[in-house]
Amino acid sequence: MEKIPYTTTNIEIKTAPKKRTGVMKILTPWLFLLPAILVLVVFLVIPIIEAFKWSFLDYKIIAGTGEFVGLDNFKEIFTDDKFWLAFFNTILFLVIVLPLNVFLPMVLAVLVNQSIKGVGTFRVLYYLPVITPMVVAALMWKMLYSQSGLISEFLMMIGIFDQQTNLLVNSSTALVAVAMITVWKGLGYYMIMYLAGLQSIPKDVYESASIDGASSLQQFWKITVPMLMPSITLVSVMTIIGGLKVFEEIALTTGGGPVGATTTLVMYIYDKFMNLDVSIASAAGMVLLVLAIGASLLQMKLTSKREEDLRA
Amino acid sequence: MKSKILGKRISVYVLMVLITVITVGPFLVTLFMALKSPGEGIYEGILPQDPTMVNFIDSFEKANFGTYFLNTVIVTVMAVPLNLLFCSLAAYPLARMDFRGRGLALALIISTMMVPFQLYMAPLFQIAGELGLRNTHLGLVILQVSTAFGIFLMRQAYLRVPKELEESAYLDGANKFQVWYKIALPIVKPTIITLAIYTFTFTWGDYLWPLLNTTKSGMYTLSIGLAQLSQNFDGSNMKLISAASILTTIPTLLIFIWLQKYFVSGQTDGAVKG
Repeated sequence: MEKIPYTTTNIEIKTAPKKRTGVMKILTPWLFLLPAILVLVVFLVIPIIEAFKWSFLDYKIIAGTGEFVGLDNFKEIFTDDKFWLAFFNTILFLVIVLPLNVFLPMVLAVLVNQSIKGVGTFRVLYYLPVITPMVVAALMWKMLYSQSGLISEFLMMIGIFDQQTNLLVNSSTALVAVAMITVWKGLGYYMIMYLAGLQSIPKDVYESASIDGASSLQQFWKITVPMLMPSITLVSVMTIIGGLKVFEEIALTTGGGPVGATTTLVMYIYDKFMNLDVSIASAAGMVLLVLAIGASLLQMKLTSKREEDLRA
Repeated sequence: MKSKILGKRISVYVLMVLITVITVGPFLVTLFMALKSPGEGIYEGILPQDPTMVNFIDSFEKANFGTYFLNTVIVTVMAVPLNLLFCSLAAYPLARMDFRGRGLALALIISTMMVPFQLYMAPLFQIAGELGLRNTHLGLVILQVSTAFGIFLMRQAYLRVPKELEESAYLDGANKFQVWYKIALPIVKPTIITLAIYTFTFTWGDYLWPLLNTTKSGMYTLSIGLAQLSQNFDGSNMKLISAASILTTIPTLLIFIWLQKYFVSGQTDGAVKG
């Protein structure tokens, strides 16, 4: 009998530290994760779950309660002309921005990728809009667009208009005018994306092309553009994801007007929230989420395909 | 042949300068507007006839931009170190430790990156109110003190740290926390700087959340103060708005000039897979 406790303590001595390291092994990663997870759960995960719930409730934010109404909120937005206008405006906005975002920064990247004097400075100057606070960018452009502002004067000078015109208050030009702010702000950002892509194109491809007598323009269309395809898809998807969320450019210049011409989905959600129609806002937010997930999945598919291509 | 090359080079420069007019022009127009004296018409030429600092002084003295500036500094000074600490901690086990729930935690964090803020801003507004965060500095930074993007960015950086370095430290008897702090963290310093810059620019310019969570003008950040000032967007106010816009931009501009290369490297790191 006396031997047994002796051996068990012996075993305990052997296993006790193991047990402790076992617990520590489970705990350690979560200790690292704890602060971030705590913040993300309280201020991100719970609000997202709430938004899901609210979209099926008739939620009153002041009372803090709501009754289950099934799909009524979705029925309401899908029969609301203003929702469809916002949906259509969002798509139209993307259609305006997408080709410009794909093409203009590419030209910039090709220009500043040359080994000539001063390109470093130009890169910095092209990047400036990216670091500008969005509110500032929106207000600067609002000033430029104003009735007697520079853009109005310029358009008169080149004969597009015969009188002073504020593009932001004209319902047929307002969305384009707002989209230009987005394009301007993104020029330098997407230029950098393209620069990374350009630097992966082998130089000898161009050398043999010039020996064959291809002009710079031919080289651009026949070599640069096809070789930049991965960057082009990346820029496109990022433009879509970013474009879906555009807010300041619109809220601070047109406020969604004139007569809803610049009301995008985000502006629609914002207006509903301001009217305390939070359940309607949540339902419309779900539509926005579906679009964003679609774009993100597309990006994942494209980038993983690209990685496979690189490995192959 | 030589003149053809020269001609081509000149046209390249002309094109680059024209693009500069588009990217930098709006800043210059705004700066010139801000320098115009009170009596000067806002559309009488682009250049100020009689440059003055009076609009900058007014933005502090009459438009309360000193308070907004201070609020923005407080908020940014809170957000940057907290986000760096929390993200660099959280990302480490996701990159380097094998544990149950890792896949789930990672999937959860990455999937939240897709969710547009506008979907959950109303519930967040309510939660912030219930937790007493309305009109507080802490309330303004809750979205920046630990970000899914930051965790993702830091994880990518840890994955590139050579495992051998950590393994030799473990052999020397270091624990996980020491290895993280002494080995991994110094190696990913460039990414930390990148994340700092991101957090800074985002917090400094954030608009929608501060707009929702702030009802007292004493708690306004620069973006909110500027937006409020621009509610009255007429000639009399334009010079003041311009001066305030320039003031709001200067800190980000200085950081950009100081840490330029990290802006660019961070952007490509974060985007290639994010």
